[in-house]
Amino acid sequence: MSTWSAQFDAGTFAVDNSSSTSRSRVRRNVATLNDSDDERPTTRTLDSERDVVMAPPPFELEAEETPLQKLMRHWINERHAPDILPAQEELLASLLDHIRRQSDAVQLLRGEPSTSEEDHIRIMLVQTEVERVKFIVRSYVRTRLFKIEKFARFIMTNPEIQTRITTAERAHASRHANLTDRHFHFSVLQSLPETQSHLDDEPIFMPPMVTQPDDSVPVFVHALRECGPIHFPDGTSLNKMTPGYISLMPFASAKNLLKRGDVELV
Amino acid sequence: MSLPPSLRTSVTPTELELIATQQLIEIIPLIAMEKTAFISGAYGPLRPPHRAKIPIWMAVNLKLKKKCHILPPYWLNVEFLQARLNEETSEAGFSRLPFRFAEVAKVLLDVAPDDIQDTEKIRSILKDLREARQAKSREGLANLDRGEFSLPNFCSLEINEVRPFFVRSMAILQQLYREPSDAV
Repeated sequence: MSTWSAQFDAGTFAVDNSSSTSRSRVRRNVATLNDSDDERPTTRTLDSERDVVMAPPPFELEAEETPLQKLMRHWINERHAPDILPAQEELLASLLDHIRRQSDAVQLLRGEPSTSEEDHIRIMLVQTEVERVKFIVRSYVRTRLFKIEKFARFIMTNPEIQTRITTAERAHASRHANLTDRHFHFSVLQSLPETQSHLDDEPIFMPPMVTQPDDSVPVFVHALRECGPIHFPDGTSLNKMTPGYISLMPFASAKNLLKRGDVELV
Repeated sequence: MSLPPSLRTSVTPTELELIATQQLIEIIPLIAMEKTAFISGAYGPLRPPHRAKIPIWMAVNLKLKKKCHILPPYWLNVEFLQARLNEETSEAGFSRLPFRFAEVAKVLLDVAPDDIQDTEKIRSILKDLREARQAKSREGLANLDRGEFSLPNFCSLEINEVRPFFVRSMAILQQLYREPSDAV
């Protein structure tokens, strides 16, 4: 009777034995919190990780990335990359779904008066994790939003970059571009002579008026797998990068490796 | 503002800490807990006095409530770090340390000094290591050019520290090269 679900079932019964539907809902949520067999094979990852620790490598390499680790990698990549990276819609949706399920479970369990101290700690840990994941999700989305607003006009004229963003992000870019255009037009541009009232001039010796992503910005690259060869703008090239290799290079050189997931930005 | 200006050029040390504390660490729990499914995986069961492996943030959380002892990782002790420091001062390259050692060491030394032996000594070695490595990265800056600049065994927090300066320097080197060819 000391197990979590048994205690929990007993508790639910005492409080709410009239409504069987809510009870089955609670049980389903307990099942989500309690580890079931279809979870990831954590024991195997733990073992392989211990092997890695035995022979101290320069970096702790994970055998398999969990969805959260993937999102953290994409989040940091997005933060460092000067350009907008391909959207990770599925990954984000599955994690948001997971957050919702965990929060629902916690919400139901918190309503329980009979939870023990041990259960309180468990609920608190689950909640803490939900907040951590929410922070990452928020920061990831905001980083993309920032770039989309910055490059809004460029996005509307470039079909290639539109393939990398979601429909919602594209709608936002279009609205943002229109709003700023209208604002500039009504506040300043309409009273300027025709030749000076454009927003997309490309004057010589000056950067174009439409802000574009700058691929030559250097980024710190951390190789996850063996990959290469890589060519650099100064004509040199690197035959291969071994896992753990760290290097500062222009984003343009790292772009394709990043797309394949061979490297991460750090 | 979708992203505050302070976060636009780089990530903050706190964010790096958030990433580093996702790594697993061994603890000796003082409370029992069933195996629980978290978003990052399933952890537990915790059964005192058996060791368990959980993420560092969770260990920190339990430690602050005095519900566990943290077992420091294999590299967080005087012998290992002293050996690295000797290597650092006698050899040219950076010595091999875990990628996120600085963040993890800071968190553990702050939260669980009673679980680690010789914390004062460890702190002073870490400080020496940091200074030795900082000096090397400054010397390395002389070799920076516009192509590629490799930094074997450089660590996460150190990258973050030198990032603004290194990135800007390389961008300037690129500009110095690009402009004459554009003008032709």
